[in-house]
Amino acid sequence: MDRSTIWMIVAGLLNVGLVLLVAPFFQGVLRKVTARIQSRQGPPVRQPYFDLLKLLGKEDIESGETPAMQRFAVYLSLATVLTVACLLPMGFAAPMNGAGDVILLIYLLTLCGICTLLAGLAAGSTYSLVGISREMMGMITLEPLFAIAIIVGALHTGSLRLDTVLNGSVYATAGVPFSGLIMLVVILMSFQGFVQRVPFDISEAETELMEGPLMEYSGPKLALFKYAYMAKLVIYSTLFVALFVPWGSELAFPLGWLLFWGKVFVLVLLVTLVAATHARYRIDQAIRYFAGLLAIALVALVLASYGH
Amino acid sequence: MLENLCQKMFGRSLWVYHANSGGCNGCDIEVLNVLTPYYDVERFGIKLVGSPRHADVMLCQGPAMRSTAQALKRAYDAMPAPKLVFAIGSCACGGGVWFDSYSVLGPVERVIPVNYYIPGCPPRPEAIIYGVAVALGIVDKKTAPVQFRQMELPIPRYHPGELHGDGDLVVYEKMEKV
Amino acid sequence: MSVLSKLEEALVCLKAGKVTLPYPAQAQPLPEKFRGRPIFDATKCIGCAGCANNCPAREILVVDLCQEVRILQYLGRRCTYCGRCAEVCPEKAITMSQEFENGTNAIHDLGQRLEIFMSTCQRCGRCFKEPSVLEQLKMKGYRFDDVQNERWIYRSRAFLEEEKTVDDIAIELD
Repeated sequence: MDRSTIWMIVAGLLNVGLVLLVAPFFQGVLRKVTARIQSRQGPPVRQPYFDLLKLLGKEDIESGETPAMQRFAVYLSLATVLTVACLLPMGFAAPMNGAGDVILLIYLLTLCGICTLLAGLAAGSTYSLVGISREMMGMITLEPLFAIAIIVGALHTGSLRLDTVLNGSVYATAGVPFSGLIMLVVILMSFQGFVQRVPFDISEAETELMEGPLMEYSGPKLALFKYAYMAKLVIYSTLFVALFVPWGSELAFPLGWLLFWGKVFVLVLLVTLVAATHARYRIDQAIRYFAGLLAIALVALVLASYGH
Repeated sequence: MLENLCQKMFGRSLWVYHANSGGCNGCDIEVLNVLTPYYDVERFGIKLVGSPRHADVMLCQGPAMRSTAQALKRAYDAMPAPKLVFAIGSCACGGGVWFDSYSVLGPVERVIPVNYYIPGCPPRPEAIIYGVAVALGIVDKKTAPVQFRQMELPIPRYHPGELHGDGDLVVYEKMEKV
Repeated sequence: MSVLSKLEEALVCLKAGKVTLPYPAQAQPLPEKFRGRPIFDATKCIGCAGCANNCPAREILVVDLCQEVRILQYLGRRCTYCGRCAEVCPEKAITMSQEFENGTNAIHDLGQRLEIFMSTCQRCGRCFKEPSVLEQLKMKGYRFDDVQNERWIYRSRAFLEEEKTVDDIAIELD
């Protein structure tokens, strides 16, 4: 057990623990700020912790077509999100840096989305199937955007290693980084879709679909699903900060770490503001929007391959 | 251990499923009012969910009708334990003015067991919040049965042995002091 | 993009502050003619059952135990707080209070039960309320010792049995 293994274990546990601890807090902040924007006193900021603890103790009703698939989908979703947490730098170098490269990251991020599809298939009711078909349509146009951003970074630095790409590599050109700036705007405009908040939370629409894929889950499994949902916000914000706003990560341990989490908090507030003031989009409007962004991202990719 | 945690946290985060089994929607609008910023009930941690499997509390309105009784029972069975049922409005508490109609089975109690009653037609949003607060234990309930008896002791006690005569006139001869 | 207009909207709402009424902590003012629960004043009630006749939900039930005793039971379950009983009562014995905080976990908490003593006229058999205070005293607890004057009793339709005269008479309604 040499130093690097110990570092990997400790830092990995720290990352995972921090994501688990902080995800309901950010969700609570989101609900509270949404409530204040709607001029009402909202729930206390610790509310998601109470929700999760209560859900963990409720009775677990296994219904739906295939209960085994239900369990698999739940555990897979939380496991994927926490694995991504180990691959990302959260204020210090990523714990499992040598375990994979950027392609693994893209794969795991897509897997997070596929878990919702598995959950809906396992339930098998009409509303679930409609929900997952909409989620699938959205994913086809949405997931490539982050992949293109990462590939732009890889093209600029010429390597697929995690620590080089996730360090502001999109701006690593000689001259003005056009492709980097274009990708920054594109990702900012589609960020709500990645974290599945309004206006793009089409698959988990409560009023339209009775919560779609999650309809048949109750008790502990629902708690784990909600946990994965909250953790996705933290993961994607971390990824965004590492890729596009990396300045200040060179500072020494306490200060750099706090600055990092401050940046993540600002991003969460931005997500909240947009979520509280918009209505949910229909699936065809969402697909048209993402397809437009995809076209612009392809332009950025072409520019990146020419070194701009 | 998890059940104990659930019991402790139950009062702080109630997820509500709203089931209207045949009412006029007056109480629906009052429940919706309760979720608006003016009477904000989310500050108690209460959230409206779309599926009975996610819910802890079922808010029932409208009397139990012949056509929707089975659906109501299925929604109740789909909720995971521990669960509560609130009957909101006069129709759900006792059948309302429609209690003897041809399609009304009666109050919601005929179909599912009810834990808390919030009468009114429709109950004010404050009345609904008060009922929820009574359920959460924040306030004490303000109603108690009232009984008035105009006849106090002593009333003449007629023992059959002390009555004589028959027909229209009966004479009472008191044997002993009351 | 209308993002800027949405952000402006968010700022306007933030300026409005918090409009939530602190309800269970503080009582809120009610509108003037608000109708809450009806309160039955049994000292004024003459037992005419006009309220029972007019209730649209048939919520007030009337039973005559015997010729002298009439039981009026108001179960609070189906009451829609319409106020017709208060409107019709000739003695103004029913008032619509302003209490709306009636949530409870036992439905019989809402009931009010009145047992009224009805005196009947000896000639025509109609009920009347005792006019003089002395007669009322006799009913309410004044012990009469002159048995001679009270030897004539009215004929009752239901004969009170020996066991029941000592305890309360409970009847099952519903």
